[in-house]
Amino acid sequence: MKPAPRGMSGAAPFTRLLEMLRPDLLRFACWLARDRSVAEDVVQETLIRAWKSREELKDPASARPWLFTIVRREHARLYERKRLPTVDVDSVEALGDPALASEGDAGLQDLRGAIMQLPGEYREPLVMQVLGGFSTAEIAAELGLTQAAVLTRLFRARNRLRTIYGLEPAEDVE
Amino acid sequence: MNTTDCRHARLHIGAAPHELPAEVETHLAGCADCRRFRDETVSLDARVRSALEVPLTHFRARPQVRSRRFALAASMVLALLLAGGAWWLNPRPALAGEVTSHVLHEAGSWDRQQVLSEADIDSVLQQAGVKFDSKLPVVYAMACPFHGRQVPHFVVQTDEGPMTVMLLAHEKVAARREFSEHGFRGVLLPAGNGAVAVLSRGAAPSEALERTVVAGVE
Repeated sequence: MKPAPRGMSGAAPFTRLLEMLRPDLLRFACWLARDRSVAEDVVQETLIRAWKSREELKDPASARPWLFTIVRREHARLYERKRLPTVDVDSVEALGDPALASEGDAGLQDLRGAIMQLPGEYREPLVMQVLGGFSTAEIAAELGLTQAAVLTRLFRARNRLRTIYGLEPAEDVE
Repeated sequence: MNTTDCRHARLHIGAAPHELPAEVETHLAGCADCRRFRDETVSLDARVRSALEVPLTHFRARPQVRSRRFALAASMVLALLLAGGAWWLNPRPALAGEVTSHVLHEAGSWDRQQVLSEADIDSVLQQAGVKFDSKLPVVYAMACPFHGRQVPHFVVQTDEGPMTVMLLAHEKVAARREFSEHGFRGVLLPAGNGAVAVLSRGAAPSEALERTVVAGVE
């Protein structure tokens, strides 16, 4: 007989989980905020909120999407609360943020720049999918969109990146 | 070429190359152009993932205290980190999870069939500054960001099916440790001055295979 599911009440396993996922939470927040300092604040708030709500996490295997969702909400909340100015893409590139540009080959840096320049409506589902491991159905539920709309956004995101990668773009979808 | 089918297939491939519906898989079996588009997209996706995995070396190591609210937040996070002391002393389970998580996001690597040339493999090894004499055919090779460093990520063909091999030159593993996460069976092995991870989607890698991989590490 399978034991009844329980929340993650144990401090040590939950802490291990947070430590394991923290790098990708920081990356996700960084791509949402396009600002390293804001990303760090968002993840800090996320860890606190996750710790307080750890009983809600019934299955450790769901921790990743659960934490990514908290990051998204904390990011939105931070902007709401502080009314932070939106980030100008050109200024981010001009700053040459070392977190985004210091490592990797030139092609990778070009790709980072291209992802950074994607409109938020394309960038967010792409990062959720590739970095967060969300399915298109999960992204649709999270963003309050139809799955068809998510497919279109993801298609257009990748189609723009194809040109950076030296590939011919596919014919756009209606 | 059926234009409508191709457009439908390319929408799905471009949107979710690792999540294709059955009718697109069927279409791919008979459409070389769309198969090429799929291969290009899978390859692009591996690069996108590498690009998204920004190095974290420039992020602050601990929360910044800026106000009473943040002081409270920081103290709670510090408590979390202290509670996690045991984890730092025994990081292997986390390493296994991170390796598995990385492999999950390069699922397309398992589909490769074409054996790569020595030059392709050497290029990846040079990027990572690692030496490895693979005694097995390599069908996927990529230098992937992992823990802030470039790590060779290979898929090799074996009698036991395709296996992922990640050369973790900067990780320490005290002893052989098996793990099973997200449908993968794998093992972390001490090798040279670092470690190596071998993962399978089926049965756990055999000891003979482990010996072959470790023998290739310099």
